[in-house]
Amino acid sequence: MATPLLQPEGHQHSEIDRSGTAATHTPDARPLEAPPVQDLGDKKLSLFRLLLRDKFATLAALVLMFVGLVAVFGPMLVGDLATRQDLLAANKPPFSLDDGWGYVLGSDSLGRSMLGRLVVATRTTISVALPAVGIALVIGSLWGVWAGYHRGLRETISMRIADVIMSFPSLLLAVVVLYVFNPSLGNIVLILAITRIPIYLRTARAESAELQSRTFVDAARTFGSKPTAIIGRHVIPIVLPTLLTLATLEFCYVMLAESSLSFLGIGIQSPDVSWGLMVSQGRQYLQTAWWLSILPGLAIVVTTIAANILAAWLRIATDPAQRWRLSLPRKRGGRRFGTALKGATK
Amino acid sequence: MLVYLRQRIISSLLPLVVVVVGVFALARLTGNPASLYLPLNATEQMRADFMAREGLDQPLLVQMADYFGGVLRLDFGESLRTGEPAAAMALRAFPATLQLAATTMVIAIVAAVLVGCWAALKPNGVADRISSFVSMAAASIPDFWLAIVGIWIFAITLGWLPTSGVSGPEAWILPIATLMLRPFGVLVQIVRGAMVSALSEPYIKLARSKGASDARVVTHHALRNAAAPALTVAGDLAVGLVNGAVVVETIFGWPGIGKLMIDSILQRDFAVLQAAVLITAIAIFILNILIDIGYALLDARVRPTVKA
Amino acid sequence: MIFSTLAVGGTLVLSSCSVANSEQVEGDAGAASDTIRVVLSQEPPTLEACEANLTSTGVVVRSNVTQPLVERNPTTGDIEPLLATEWEATSDTEWTFKLRDDVTFHDGTPFDAEAAAFTIDRAVNSDLGCNVEGYVFGDDDLVVEAVDETTLKVTTASPDPILPLRLSFVEIVPTSTSSEEKVREPIGTGPYAIEQWDAGQRITLAAYEGFWGDAPAYPKAEYQWRSEGTVRAAMITSGEADIAMGIGPDDGIGELGVSYPNNETIALRLTGEIAPLDDARVREAINYAVDKETIVSSLYGGTDKVAAQLIPEGVVGHNPDLEPWPFDLDRAKELVAEAKADGVPVDTKITLVTRSAQFPKVTELSQVLQEQLSQAGLNVELKTVETSQHLQYQLRPFVTNEGPIALLVQHGNQAGDAAFTVEQYMTSTGAQSTFGTPEFDAMIEEAGLTEGEDRQSAYEEVFAYQNENVVQFAMIAHQTGIIGKAAGVDYEPNSSSGDELRLSEMTPAN
Repeated sequence: MATPLLQPEGHQHSEIDRSGTAATHTPDARPLEAPPVQDLGDKKLSLFRLLLRDKFATLAALVLMFVGLVAVFGPMLVGDLATRQDLLAANKPPFSLDDGWGYVLGSDSLGRSMLGRLVVATRTTISVALPAVGIALVIGSLWGVWAGYHRGLRETISMRIADVIMSFPSLLLAVVVLYVFNPSLGNIVLILAITRIPIYLRTARAESAELQSRTFVDAARTFGSKPTAIIGRHVIPIVLPTLLTLATLEFCYVMLAESSLSFLGIGIQSPDVSWGLMVSQGRQYLQTAWWLSILPGLAIVVTTIAANILAAWLRIATDPAQRWRLSLPRKRGGRRFGTALKGATK
Repeated sequence: MLVYLRQRIISSLLPLVVVVVGVFALARLTGNPASLYLPLNATEQMRADFMAREGLDQPLLVQMADYFGGVLRLDFGESLRTGEPAAAMALRAFPATLQLAATTMVIAIVAAVLVGCWAALKPNGVADRISSFVSMAAASIPDFWLAIVGIWIFAITLGWLPTSGVSGPEAWILPIATLMLRPFGVLVQIVRGAMVSALSEPYIKLARSKGASDARVVTHHALRNAAAPALTVAGDLAVGLVNGAVVVETIFGWPGIGKLMIDSILQRDFAVLQAAVLITAIAIFILNILIDIGYALLDARVRPTVKA
Repeated sequence: MIFSTLAVGGTLVLSSCSVANSEQVEGDAGAASDTIRVVLSQEPPTLEACEANLTSTGVVVRSNVTQPLVERNPTTGDIEPLLATEWEATSDTEWTFKLRDDVTFHDGTPFDAEAAAFTIDRAVNSDLGCNVEGYVFGDDDLVVEAVDETTLKVTTASPDPILPLRLSFVEIVPTSTSSEEKVREPIGTGPYAIEQWDAGQRITLAAYEGFWGDAPAYPKAEYQWRSEGTVRAAMITSGEADIAMGIGPDDGIGELGVSYPNNETIALRLTGEIAPLDDARVREAINYAVDKETIVSSLYGGTDKVAAQLIPEGVVGHNPDLEPWPFDLDRAKELVAEAKADGVPVDTKITLVTRSAQFPKVTELSQVLQEQLSQAGLNVELKTVETSQHLQYQLRPFVTNEGPIALLVQHGNQAGDAAFTVEQYMTSTGAQSTFGTPEFDAMIEEAGLTEGEDRQSAYEEVFAYQNENVVQFAMIAHQTGIIGKAAGVDYEPNSSSGDELRLSEMTPAN
């Protein structure tokens, strides 16, 4: 479920591009009014080419790819570097090769390699954030699209459930899960996923509610298509880019939320380590060993910015009405995102 | 509008009840508060006395019936920790959070609109690049870390601001600055995006070609268009703040509802937790309704053709 | 439901204009040297006198607002007169106290034997559920009688040689105090009276003019609270507070930090009835495997002391001749191997349970311990829990379904007598003890009945016996606390400062 985020050129987009071809040459047309038009052109490649045209977006994609690679292969490479303690070599400053490459980013308060810990933390962070975002995205979007398509009671009930989740203290949920179960990664993922479902639910519902009144949906309905088929074939492809953009932004939010939980003592617990936990535990050493909290903080910031840039690019690239901007030298915009979110609280 | 409001309020009541019931049940899953409130060497007898005194020895449904019976009489129970009425504690803490959240949101929105517009005037210009980068960075820094760095720089090293507390206007600066960054960062991007696309609409080009100044174009035409998405996002962000700026309240010693909530969760102070959740839930429902109304007003002005 | 919801909404609007902005003028004027400003780590839940044995309450109330009949000198451990001038055991179970006749409460009413009797009755015999009742008296009631205005007779159900020590926890309140419910702001006889409590923000005390002793140096005192150690430290360095409690070694207090032995001891408590911890060799191996010297010097800046027993020097019963277990990894491995050879399942996972934020650097310490025990050849998994969960491990009935557990405990003996430690932690039924032996139980019970020097040596033997024959604990260190102190204040913290911060001992520095 998380693959779309890692592979923006994935197959979902070929469908979106289909819907967009008609609008590509008429930038001011409202994209949602355009019914999906069949066009099996080689959009996959062109999306990639478009990416290369924007050097910021390319850089962002590279950063994210690097983070992904570190998360997958890093822990194997660093071995026990992240756990080997040496109390006599604690808090060694970074950027010195006296103790070898393993300690180039210094050592932490127990003399463990900061580099090794950052690498292991990358995996934890990603394996919390990605599934959390993925689960919330899938559940929230499908539910929202369904509610928005059918409207009426189903819509009202869904919206009120969203209200309930949003006004429910997620901290309590965290404590309950930690108490009743164990403070494992899976449970943190569960908490973060549940509390973020309403965001997708509301957005998807708003979009889908607007779509279901459109003529092309009406047409499909009169031809006797089943609701699930219409949703799957006509609604979801149009709503997806917005939701994916949202998911990228949520990825950042989830990383920050996880670090706040760590700060409050109810997030990831030692001996597990995540960027957020490292920032949280390093904060008391701010005046004596700044690298303990600055380096993982930097990892969060850089990853988040990269994800943001890519999201900004992606929402234009996948938006037929905006896509032409990318073919012009250095143009970016974000109207689709705005219209997408406008109905979110309705 | 009135019909809509009435329906909306009625349909919000059930979720309120669901939230409180959910909190009631979940809170009791987190274990028995007896050992937190009795001395470490308490005997079995003392434990039993405690449970009986607090009604915790009853079945869950009986406890719940008792609680809602009390709520109908405006009796929200008493805090295990302080012995005060729970409602009084929640009502005392809530305004502090509300004031902080409101001030933060107003400043964040104004700043984001200014910066967003400035950036949108020359898309991909230097100002645009800088503001996008800064706003993204702002939205991605862990708040507790920023708060501590802020205290270190502005209170300790420079000595310009108090470290924490609620002692005067200058004590608001650090908490607001910390809280503001994420809403500001997110909103700048929304406003900028909406402005860029609004400014390229034909009618704006027309206004410009008629010789309208940049300022006039922005304030009279484009901004109005950008207001709707910004309002929605701002609304969601505000909901987050009302639900308690736990981290900021904890660090700066701000006596708000977020701090009260986390304390009562960790201390298993069920009555206070329920009262605090009820208040924030009501506030969030009210806020959602206000956003809807605001959006309906904007919508009517901007796009009268779109469904009301 | 509709009505209540609306009503709450209404009150909410009414009160919303008043609270967070109600900052006081004194808040800033507090910089003047007539106010001593203290920053605590949490807001006291209540100031109720009969809960004053709770650290967060006692630190404000004890010796400042209210006073007991007698008090323990934290340095010498002697019981000294306060509201009682002299006392004696008139029989095995009966004690007679002579009280001062020149004391008045903050409301002007005189202090007499009746008030003392009322207070003890209220704290110990009532249904209020006072914390002090459970902490120092248990289930047994006391019979109190005001013989005349200045004579008080207290009778215990069974002989109790440390009754005066126990009574030093009972803070005296006037007879006008409610005995139906707890009182958040008590009236006392202390040098300060509670002036105002702005819930969530600050508590201010003002010197009581009719105080029977010497007037304190500061006419006013102000308490605030911040949960972050770095913020408390920052308030001292930036001049916003004069005294900050509970500072950690890395909170950035610099030279303004004053460290003091805080009577707290940390140790691993082992579930000695679950394999492989049921084998004494494994428990001994754990003791050998923990490198206490390095932990103390590296994590705690060398201020803590390596511990050999659960109580530090200064507490009655401390055994000065007991040597800490040496760090000997080879010996530890050897013991584990021996146990393994005898069929002890040493590969069974042992859960090392710690509580987040229990004391400074607890996360670091727990990871070090896990590493060191693993080095000895044991299979150790770390589990970090929050306060309420931690109590399920710390107190009977213990968590039973998680196999062998090594619990990181922090034990503070506020009372200054070993009885408060060993009955809890070492008897086979003690609330915080996982196992014991019948001989050991008998030894402890006998020690509890002794007095004076006999008592001292009896408890010394108890601690030696624990280390040699029982080994329920792997001792780590006697801790030191740090308080932040502004340059403008003279104050010497002592082992009880964390529980009882005497404002009258603070003076402006010259």
